Amino acid sequence: MEKMKIYINATTGISPQESFGATVYPESITQHPGNWFNSIEPDYDTIIDVKLIRRMSRIIKMGAAAALKCLQQAEIKMPDGIIVGTAYGCLQDTEIFLQRMIDYNEELLTPTAFIQSTHNTVGAQIALLLQCHHYNNTFVHKGFSFESALLDAIILLNENEMNNVLVGGVDELTNSSFDILSRFSLYKKSLPGNLYTSKTKGTIAGEGAFFFLLSNLAAKKNMAVLNAVDFFYKPQNSDIIADKINALLSSQGLSMNDIDVIITGRNGDINNDALYDTLEQTVFTGRTVINFKHLCGEYPTAGAYAVWMAALMLKEGKIPQALSSQKTGNEKIRTALVYNHYLNEHHSLFLLTAC
Amino acid sequence: MEKEKLLQDLKKKIIEKFNLKQQPADIGDDEPLFVEGVGLDSIDALELIVLLQQDYKIKLDNAEDGPKVFKSVSTMADYIIQHQDANV
Repeated sequence: MEKMKIYINATTGISPQESFGATVYPESITQHPGNWFNSIEPDYDTIIDVKLIRRMSRIIKMGAAAALKCLQQAEIKMPDGIIVGTAYGCLQDTEIFLQRMIDYNEELLTPTAFIQSTHNTVGAQIALLLQCHHYNNTFVHKGFSFESALLDAIILLNENEMNNVLVGGVDELTNSSFDILSRFSLYKKSLPGNLYTSKTKGTIAGEGAFFFLLSNLAAKKNMAVLNAVDFFYKPQNSDIIADKINALLSSQGLSMNDIDVIITGRNGDINNDALYDTLEQTVFTGRTVINFKHLCGEYPTAGAYAVWMAALMLKEGKIPQALSSQKTGNEKIRTALVYNHYLNEHHSLFLLTAC
Repeated sequence: MEKEKLLQDLKKKIIEKFNLKQQPADIGDDEPLFVEGVGLDSIDALELIVLLQQDYKIKLDNAEDGPKVFKSVSTMADYIIQHQDANV
């Protein structure tokens, strides 16, 4: 029996790049000054019901708008399920709620920020907007949040429980989260000219909300095939990662020679980029490697940005000039591998091919 | 407090608190605050109770009075004037 294919029927997202509604990868890169990349947000009033929008915080608006646009692109009104991955959840509302607890001495707490502060609010608001009473789940697993959501969708589609699932990865950056994470030296003190050659500690803070309409139905408009996803926690050395990559490719009857482009989560942090160096000198040798964290910054669900990028590239069959200084030839790219890790703890692999 | 000033005050606070697109002049003194009027809902009702308590130090003792008190900006203003006087 032929293995069921999982297709990316449509995808879009809100990020520090002009990603919202893009049907091809943006040819120009939006540059952001500083060590903090904020998203380029659309006019939400034209996308979300004005009566509902007034109570939504920024991440809810970002998630809801990306989800609605994705469904619109897929020409699907009602998905069979909504699955969201988020590490931080609705930070802004959580901060408001906690601040009010302090300001009002734990008395007279208003309900809105509390209700909206839970991690599953984005998924719930999408369901409310669509009046969708189907499967709705949110995964909160740090750097595996998006990957877990994706895996859940793949399992449901493989079991034929559903045909069309809306899957997303969302995380926002706030003043407080930036300050707190800066104390853990996650971010660079200042932005270097070239993120990847800075040879300093820390990276750039980022955020984003991406949604994918995954389907097990073949359709002309499908953008790419999502062949496999794997994720693993704290591998002891690069050999283990290489083994994981080779095992993933073998499971799909592929070898590294079949991979046209590798998208890595290199982020300019000298502490964590050594792994990418090692892999590029060993298992990735001779392959075209591109990066994406200089576009969206670092955040726990950044893998969703890379998968969005891979889907658009596979649909077009080429790597946009803005993304690669390497000469890639005229041959159409048909296979993309994403390897990303968050803080060298959460490691993820995504394998995609053209339809 | 003078009712006219209180009405303006309440309208500004409602617009700010509920992130409404309207201007104070767009909200009629007797316009229903809920559903077909300004469009507030049950969650907003809780926010209004907190607003009364935080900003005007008036506690809504009987929850059943809610629909009557929060019918419009004018009924809210009346309730505040009446209870502020009682507090004095």
